[in-house]
Order: sequence, then structure tokens, then C-alpha cells
Amino acid sequence: MDRRSFVIGTSTCAAAFASGAAFAQETYPSHPVTIVNAFPPGGVNDIVTRPLASVLEGILKQPVVIETKAGAAGQVGAQVVASAKPDGYTLLSHNTGITGYAEVDKLFDRPAKATRADFIPLARLIADPCVVLVNDQQPYKTLKEFVDDVSKRPDAIIYSSGGLYGATHFPMALLEQAAGGLKMRHLPTNGGGPAITAILGNNAQVTAQSVSASLPHIKAGKLRPLASFGGERSKALPDVPTLKELGYNVEYYLWVGIFAPKGTPTEIVTLLNSSINKAVHSDTFRGVLANVGQDLAYLDSAQFAKFWEEEGKRIDAVVKAIGKQS
Amino acid sequence: MEDTLHSLMLGFSVALQPSNLWYAFLGCLVGTLVGVLPGIGPLSGISILLPITFGLNATQAVIMLAGIYYGSQYGGSTTSILMRIPGEASSVMTCIDGNAMAKKGRAGAALCIAAVGSWIAGTFGIIVLTIVAPPLATLALRFGPPEYTALLVLGLIFLAYMSSTSLVRTLLMACLGLFFGMIGIDNMTGHFRYSFDLPELGDGIGIVPVAVGLFGLGEILATPSKNVIGEVIRPKLRELLPSREEWRQSAWPIARGSVLGFLIGIIPGSAHIISSFLSYALEKKVSKHPEEFGKGAVAGVAGPESANNAASTGAFVPMLALGLPTGPITAVLIGALMVHGVNAGPQLITEHPDVFWGFVASMYVGNLMLLALNLPLVGIFVTVLRIPYAYLYPLIIMFCVIGVYEVSHSIVDVWIMLIMGMLGYALRKFGFDPAPLVLGLVIAPVFEQSLRQSLIMSNGNYMIFTQRPIAVMLLIVSAGLLLMSAISFALKRKDWRAKLAEVEAGEGSS
Amino acid sequence: MILRSDHVAGAAFAAFGLLIVALSGDLPFGRLAMPGAGFLPNLVAGLMILFGVLLVLRASQESAPLTDIDWNDLQHAAPVISITAAGIALYTRAGFIITMVAMMVALLVLVERRSIFRAGLYSLVVVLLAFGLFAKFLRSPLPLSPFGF
Repeated sequence: MDRRSFVIGTSTCAAAFASGAAFAQETYPSHPVTIVNAFPPGGVNDIVTRPLASVLEGILKQPVVIETKAGAAGQVGAQVVASAKPDGYTLLSHNTGITGYAEVDKLFDRPAKATRADFIPLARLIADPCVVLVNDQQPYKTLKEFVDDVSKRPDAIIYSSGGLYGATHFPMALLEQAAGGLKMRHLPTNGGGPAITAILGNNAQVTAQSVSASLPHIKAGKLRPLASFGGERSKALPDVPTLKELGYNVEYYLWVGIFAPKGTPTEIVTLLNSSINKAVHSDTFRGVLANVGQDLAYLDSAQFAKFWEEEGKRIDAVVKAIGKQS
Repeated sequence: MEDTLHSLMLGFSVALQPSNLWYAFLGCLVGTLVGVLPGIGPLSGISILLPITFGLNATQAVIMLAGIYYGSQYGGSTTSILMRIPGEASSVMTCIDGNAMAKKGRAGAALCIAAVGSWIAGTFGIIVLTIVAPPLATLALRFGPPEYTALLVLGLIFLAYMSSTSLVRTLLMACLGLFFGMIGIDNMTGHFRYSFDLPELGDGIGIVPVAVGLFGLGEILATPSKNVIGEVIRPKLRELLPSREEWRQSAWPIARGSVLGFLIGIIPGSAHIISSFLSYALEKKVSKHPEEFGKGAVAGVAGPESANNAASTGAFVPMLALGLPTGPITAVLIGALMVHGVNAGPQLITEHPDVFWGFVASMYVGNLMLLALNLPLVGIFVTVLRIPYAYLYPLIIMFCVIGVYEVSHSIVDVWIMLIMGMLGYALRKFGFDPAPLVLGLVIAPVFEQSLRQSLIMSNGNYMIFTQRPIAVMLLIVSAGLLLMSAISFALKRKDWRAKLAEVEAGEGSS
Repeated sequence: MILRSDHVAGAAFAAFGLLIVALSGDLPFGRLAMPGAGFLPNLVAGLMILFGVLLVLRASQESAPLTDIDWNDLQHAAPVISITAAGIALYTRAGFIITMVAMMVALLVLVERRSIFRAGLYSLVVVLLAFGLFAKFLRSPLPLSPFGF
């Protein structure tokens, strides 16, 4: 080896060293993909994301691992992904709650942690009309009985949610307003799972949750659905009236979406978009959703981005309406 | 009862089918490996084997995945005992006395006791689960924020018994731990706390980097190789088994740890690590020789190791009886069942008795397999200690780095580990004990959230803690403990701490 | 008065407590009946200051003079800390295998004065074993070097 090639060789090595992994350009994905779930098990995010990950595994030909990073109404997980390396190996499963974080930070006059611009929406999986649920120790059989009692005893009934300014706080706040300023106490937890646990154990009396997360408990008679937030009745619960039918002008959907951090290369976004598209329309995924009583409401990356922009205005208004709490 | 027995027979007929036995074994094997290797938790183990399960039926899948989970609790103590690195977060307490036993040449005994204790605790847990899962699960649901707060108050009071340093020093360490536990995004309001705009700190400071730094690295920094006498840590192979005396000393701690761990395990939430801390403190409190703790007390290994295993079995109760996943592992199991078209919910027992009882029966078998798997391994693991210390500690440092990095693939965690190692070294110089710090770190987030949730539930009224039976009971026990220390203080009776100081003074002068 | 180790330790904790209070300025304190994000941290900081002062006050009865602390092992600790820090700094850049072999060799040769040949062989074997177990068998991603291993 002559001296020149030695010098070139060493400097190439050094350059490669400095540029880090850029040297090892391989086709994506070359190692396991992590989907950060911002909510603990038992909620709708977990129920929907797990089968998706299983099916995606076969399509991407790499393990798809779910990592739970729960806390602060999903802000912990959102923030972790927003600051993750945008290489397509860290994705986020989140819900309606991700929309309002910037507005909440504005409310409290603090620097924004995760804004909508920090994420690339990849796919919306479901959009579930939440149902108002009470536990079996409550006497209410209809929403009217419930609303009447709450207006008689303000601040006596406790509702649980997945977190302050989170996706299941919004529907209860909307219901309070639509029913003419009901007053209930709010027990925030880390997600839908703990919120359901809280009402099952009668540590709270009422909550608004997705159909799929609550259906097994409804079937077992532990929880009673009073009304649904949807535009029309849920197929899984055809006997439950919608709030609109009952005269409250409220419509709310808890959607679950998959996001990538801002800066993820376009070709990876395109690949993930088509892979998720394939996955959600697979028999396995549809079978699981049907089994838990959940309708697919898929939007691809472009449609979801458009939807999210509209949704953003709506949710910002809801956050403002709730105002500064605690 | 007869029904239960009948169903259990059905379960065994499922569990003992050769293919199911094979998947249980596979799960236990991976679980043991995952438990032994620091940093790789049961979750990563499960994600490796998850793709395989799609070709299986629901029963086989859940048997194998559960095997990884409870199998990992067996192996977790191995690196704690040999290297003072917790293999799983729930084995932190085993570092203290397990490693001290190893230094006395009793590593084999410690590993055996940990394995047998785990087996007894695991089997005890399944028996209780078989008989009374549904009523227990309903009871566990009543454990809301006020009960959690009361439990953690008890935990904080137990702190005083955890360390043999003076009360002020213990409390200072606990405060430091509590503070570390509050770094990151506030779970209730979303405020960023003390994270200096480092996004990696948003999620808070992990238990593993802190524990590995304080215990593992801190120990190495304070132990130059010239101070290590070769024979001390080199066990003879024929002394691997515990002596009769050691068995006797571990019997009650295993029994107490099993009950305590199971009770804490069934509570929804992540209290499993707390179970081993509470067990350690409890053993120290009831022991006739509390001065031996920290210097290789058998009870300090037997109690916590049994407790964390019983807790991992207890965690299945809400999942099986109510379909409520209370942790990430049970969520994976429920997810795997869902992919196979089985809905885990309150009706699991009636709708899919073969899955439910086959799974329960497989845990009896799996625990036996784990015992058979782990005891012979003791001999192999102990040979690690034959490596001369000068060669061993660089290896331990490598395991510290890899173990911390693998938890969440964050280099910031590894830096935290190094800083904690330096802190541990300095604390040792000034006579502080790091164990209460780790407990404070574990307790802080749950304590803060449950206290604030309780006060929201009661509209700011602290009387909520006296209106709920379980909370009252826990608080009465806490008050009793406080009162006992106060009385002994007033009577100027020498408690064990004073006795210990005397013993040490005696040693110093002789 | 002799400066005792508890004087230093107590003062350090008290100072740290004050630092926490200073850093908590923008966190809402809340009320006793409804604690805010800054409530418990401030409480803990207060306790830390209290116990720190207590430690200082009782130092003369309970602790040994500062000069009694044996810092002999610092000769071992300081190089180990520096080498580990260098290892962590390189870890994600140069990959697991290169960094860990280099770190272990450095520890064995520079700190322990072992022969470079034995140290290199030993390090390479254990690092490759660990790599095989973690990255190949358990498929848990370890940082790779720019050369792809």
C-alpha cells in the first residue's frame, strides 16, 4: 500500500467515524421499530396499537415493539417522540389529546413542549364516539336521571379521565357545558385504563371512554352506558342513545393515530404510510377490531393531516373553554 | 372447591400436553436469560418471541409469554448477588445482602435461596390465584388513590428501618431520592420540573441508572484491586448449597415475603418494586439480629426475592379475573390473546375455560421447571467470581453500561449512571447509605400523584384517609410504628441502632 | 473548632435544598388542600435544609474530623471514572464493540498494569460474547460503529 492511498484510507475512515451512522446506510427498516404508546395498558390506544404492531411486524419484516411512556395526559410520550431521532425507528401512538398541548401550554404561560408541528401524522386508525359510563353501584338508568342528580348535588360526583386536558377530559367537559354548567369533580389519571379501573373500584363514579375499552365491563354488568357522543348509535351498543338524540348538542370522537417525529425522511414516511394501510386492511387487524366492538375509521397520511388541521381548531377552542384548572 | 379442582384437572390436561410443555419451557428459558442479563427486561424478551406466537394457538402463546415474565423474576437476583448490579429493577434490594453474602463466600447459598424462595413464592401465588382470584380482584380494585397514599406513607416510615445509619442520614437520603423522583414532566399538570430543557429528562430519572450507579459502579470506585483479597470472594464448589442454619433463617422471610408480595402484586399499578423494599424493611424490623443486615443477612435475600416473585404472580389476578392489564407485561399477554380472537375480560373463565385453566396449570409446571433450570445454573454463575478482581471489575463496568443503555437506549441514562456512581462514592465517604435514596426515587412519583388524586377526590379534605377502611388500617400500622419508636426513645431504651453503634465501637477498639 | 465531615455533608445538603427552592420559582405551589406541581418539591427541599442543618449542629458529637476520611482509593476511582466517561462519550459514536474493548483494555492496562496482550484478548472475548448474547440472540439493538459492526 503506497502512502497516498493510506492517507486517503485513514481520512475516509475518520470522516466516516465523525459522521456516525450516516455511513451505514441500509434499507429501512434494518432493526426493530418502536411505537411509543403515550398511554398505559387498558385504554383504547393499547387495544388498537397492539394488533397493529403485530400485523406491521409481518409487513416490515422487523419486530415492532410497543413501549409505554405514560403520564401528564400523554404529554410524556408525545414529548419523548418529538425529541427522538427522526429515523423512522421511533413512532408514536397517540389520540385526540395530542392536538391541544400547545394551547394548554399557552394557557399556563409556559414554553410549548410538543406542538402539532412536531409530528408528521401517518395514519388515523379509529374515531370512536365515547360513551358516558357509570359503575354498577350508581342508581342511574338514563342520562336524564344522572344529569338531574348532578345538578342537585354539585361537586359531589367524581368523574375520572385519562388526564387533565386529555382526550377523555374533553368529552366530560363538553357534556358539563352542554347540560348547562354541571359541576363535577375531576379525577385525572394517566390514561383510559387507570380511568376505567378508578370507576370500577368506585373511586370515581362516571367516565367517558371508548367502546372497545369498556365493552367487556359493560357485558359483565360492571359498567352501564348512559349515552354516546357519536353522530349515530354505535353498532356494538345499539341500545345506547346518542347525546344529540337526548337534546344535547355535543359530538365528540376519540381518535387514535400514529405519528412520526418531524424530520423523518419522506421515503420512510411513504413506506410507513403504505405499510400501515396494508396492515389496517388485513383480516387479522379487522378481526381483532370487530371482536372488541371497534369500527375502523382509517385515514391515510394526507387525509389525516387535513383532518388534524380542522380538528386542531376545534380542540383549541375546547381547551380555551375549559380554561385554567388547578 | 370441587369445581376448582375439577377445572384445575382440565387445566393440567391442557398444560401437560407435550407441545404446551415445550412452549412453557421455551418461555422459562428465555425468561431466565432475560432476567440474568441486566438491562434486558421481560418486555424485550417477550418482543423477541412475540412473532413466533402468531403460529400458535391462544393457550400456547399465553403460556410461553407468561413463562418469560415470571421466569425473568427468577434470574433477576443473579447479577445482584454476583456483581451488585440489579438484573431487574425489582432485585435492587438483593444487591445489598446478596452481594455481601457473596463476599463472605456464600454466593452459591444466596443464589440457591433466591431460587427456592422464588419457587415457593411463585407456587404460593398460583395456589391463591387458583382458589380466590375473582373476589381478590374485586378487593384489589378498592385500592384507590387514598389507599395508595397510605401504603406509601407506611413505606416511608419503614424507611427508617432500612438503613443502619442514623435517622437524620436516612431521611436525608430519602429526601434526595424523593427529589430525584420528581424530576421530569409533572404527571398531573404537565409542568416541566428541574429538567433544564433536556428532553431526555421529561420522562423522569429511571430507577435502573440510579441503582446501577449507586450500587454497582459506586462499589467499584471505592474498591481498588489492591484491597481485595482473592480468597474472600472465591467460593468452593462444594460449599454451593445453603447450610441447615441458612435454610432455617430463610424459612420465615420466604413465607412473609410471599404473602406480602402477593398482596402488593394484585394492586393495580406498578407497586412491584415497592414489594421488595417493604419486604426488606419488614425483615429487618422483625429480625432478632438487625445488625447483620447489609453484611450478608440471609433474610435480606430470601424476603425480597420471594416478594418480587409473588408480586409478579399477583399481577395476573386483575388480568385474569377482570381483564384489566395492570402493567405492560399483562398488556402484552392480553394483546396476544386478542390477536388470537380471545377477549380477555371478566368472562374469560366462562367463555374460554381451557385457556384460563391451561394457563394457570402451566404456571405450576413452569415454576417447577424454573427451579430445575436455576439450581444447576448456580454452579456455573458462581464461577464468574473465580475471575480475579482486577479482571472482574472492568467486566462489571461493561455490564453497567450495557445494562443501563439497553433499558431505553438512551445515552443520557448512561451518563446519569456515571454521575450516580460518583455520587455513591462520595456518599460512602461521608457515611451515607444509598438504599433509602433508591426507595425515595421509587416512591416519589406514585406518592405525589396518589396524594393529589386523593385530595381531588375529597375536595381538599384530608379526612378522606380516615374514611376508608384499608387506608385507615395502613395508617394505624404506620402510627403504631411511629409510636413504638417514640416510646423507646422516651424511655431511653437502647434500640438496635445504639446496640449496633456499641458493637462497632467495640470492634474498633479491639 | 475542628471541621468535621458532617459539617461539610450537612452544609452541602442544605445548599442543595436552597438550590431546589431557587429552581422552583415558576412552579405553582398550590394549597395544602390542593397541592400544585411545586408543592412537594419545595416540601422536600425544606426538609433537606432542615436535616442538613441538623447534621451540622450535631456534627461535633457524631462525626469524625474531615481529615479522617481516607481518600487513598481516589487514585483508583479517578482514572476509572475518566476512562468510563470516555467510554460513554464514544459509546454511540464508535459502537459497542470498539468502545467496550477499548474501555476494558484501558482499565486493565492503565489502571491495573496488566499486559496489553492478555488484556486485549480477555476484553475481546467477553465483549464479543456479550454482543452475541444481546445483539444477535436477543436482537436488542446495540450501537454499531460506522463500519457496520
